[in-house]
Amino acid sequence: MGVQDDISSTEDQGLSLERRSLFGLGLAGAAIGGAAAASLLAPSAAQAQTVAKSKLYTIKERGKLIVGTGSTNPPWHFQDATGKLVGMDIDLARLLAKSLFDDPEKVEFVLQGSDARIPSLVTDKVDIVVQWMTVTAGRAQQVDFTIPYYREGVGLMLLARGGKYKDYAEMKAAGKAVTVGGMQNVFLEQWVHMALPEAKVDAFDSPDSAMQALNARRVDASMQDQSAMRWLMQQAPGRFADSGFGWMPNSYASAVKPGDPTWLNWVNTVYKEAMLGVDFDYFAASYKKWFGIELPIPKVGFPQEFA
Amino acid sequence: MIDYHFDWSVIARNSGKLGDALLLGLWLAVVSLLIGCVIGLLAAYARVSGKKWLSAPVWAYVEFIRCTPLLLLIFFLYFGLPEFDISFLDKTQSFVLSLSLYAGAYMCEVFRAGLASIPKQYVEAAKAIGMRPWQRQVYVVLPVMFRITLPSIGNNLISLFKDTSLAAAIAVPELTFTARQINANTFRVMEVWLTASALYLASAYLIAMVLRLLERRYASIR
Repeated sequence: MGVQDDISSTEDQGLSLERRSLFGLGLAGAAIGGAAAASLLAPSAAQAQTVAKSKLYTIKERGKLIVGTGSTNPPWHFQDATGKLVGMDIDLARLLAKSLFDDPEKVEFVLQGSDARIPSLVTDKVDIVVQWMTVTAGRAQQVDFTIPYYREGVGLMLLARGGKYKDYAEMKAAGKAVTVGGMQNVFLEQWVHMALPEAKVDAFDSPDSAMQALNARRVDASMQDQSAMRWLMQQAPGRFADSGFGWMPNSYASAVKPGDPTWLNWVNTVYKEAMLGVDFDYFAASYKKWFGIELPIPKVGFPQEFA
Repeated sequence: MIDYHFDWSVIARNSGKLGDALLLGLWLAVVSLLIGCVIGLLAAYARVSGKKWLSAPVWAYVEFIRCTPLLLLIFFLYFGLPEFDISFLDKTQSFVLSLSLYAGAYMCEVFRAGLASIPKQYVEAAKAIGMRPWQRQVYVVLPVMFRITLPSIGNNLISLFKDTSLAAAIAVPELTFTARQINANTFRVMEVWLTASALYLASAYLIAMVLRLLERRYASIR
């Protein structure tokens, strides 16, 4: 990932410049009405580049927010039965649009793969990436992360009825008798063995095979992302159960192009107030919809530090 | 040419795993072929018995297997049967059963052709010297038929060996599964798949050579 991002960001220098000069022209056009602004920006596109103007105001002038996200990962960003893009990430993006324009529809989604998240920010193709992005120190050297909105991890999903084990403690006690299924990847075995050192591991080549192995009781538990597990439990109520043990924490946050503290701070403000302030109801409703979990109302009557 | 740095040490480090995986694949193919031959022989006799109630179900079985992908059969036995509370077979056993049922259908057709190609005179001669029906089959028909069908049995073994790669879909650690596993862990895709291909090629060719020797030794009855 890191290496590829480096290549993309250097290769895309030209693209980025071109995009910026276009943007400069656009500004000049918009500023024809305002003589003062026009005299500042119009002389040349190159000069426009040097003017430090936050993206926040560019977006306000443009009239819509451009968000980079994906379309294939429920419950974060995916297409529902009618083909509409939905999910937790999408709800957050719409909250940003609502906070900017008082209209959650004033957002344009640019669908991209996970490997395009950093390049598309660096080259100004999108204003912000809301695409289940895990915060790492390496990525934080290339983009600016917002405050995280979810702590992801992995868990063990069980069958609610008809399975051999009821929870994590029973599986741990059963030792070698337990088989855990999951998607084939670099970490599968290592991660399962962090939780259940003696368990057998069956790797499947697709998520549906991994799921069906659990349904058919070919495996005792299925290792899933915490969010995917909650989503699946929400989709088929009463069929699956959480073993109650979660590990491998990592934070999901949005990311913006570095060097724009005004824009970053604005997004942070919206996110924080969504989780703890005026937009809590919106955030909690979304959370309940995608994860089936009722968030407790933040403690009121105190500064946050005392709550 | 391609700008790819080969690092064959990954193969050396995993040679034990790959060897075990190859042997497992060969074992799966041989066992399935043996069981398949038994199924096929019984089915072939049922087909030529002339009794509708015997030949019709066998016809349905053969056509069903021949006209559906093997992967579906594997999925059905592994993922489907437990839904009907039939789950005493583990993943390897359920794969062997799938492959045996699959081989059985093809062997049925092979043996049916073999039975049909036995000259009438052989059976009449056996009758003439007073052999009972079962003696005619055991001492005359079957030995001749096996020799006639030997090349087809060999072809089926090679094809079954290649079909064992489908076991990867249900996490049976044969060669394809192991290759994928090593890929997932090391990302040395080219080295691993090239090695797997070479192993498949060499093994299948070796089987073909051995079978050719066998054919030379036994198939010269006519």
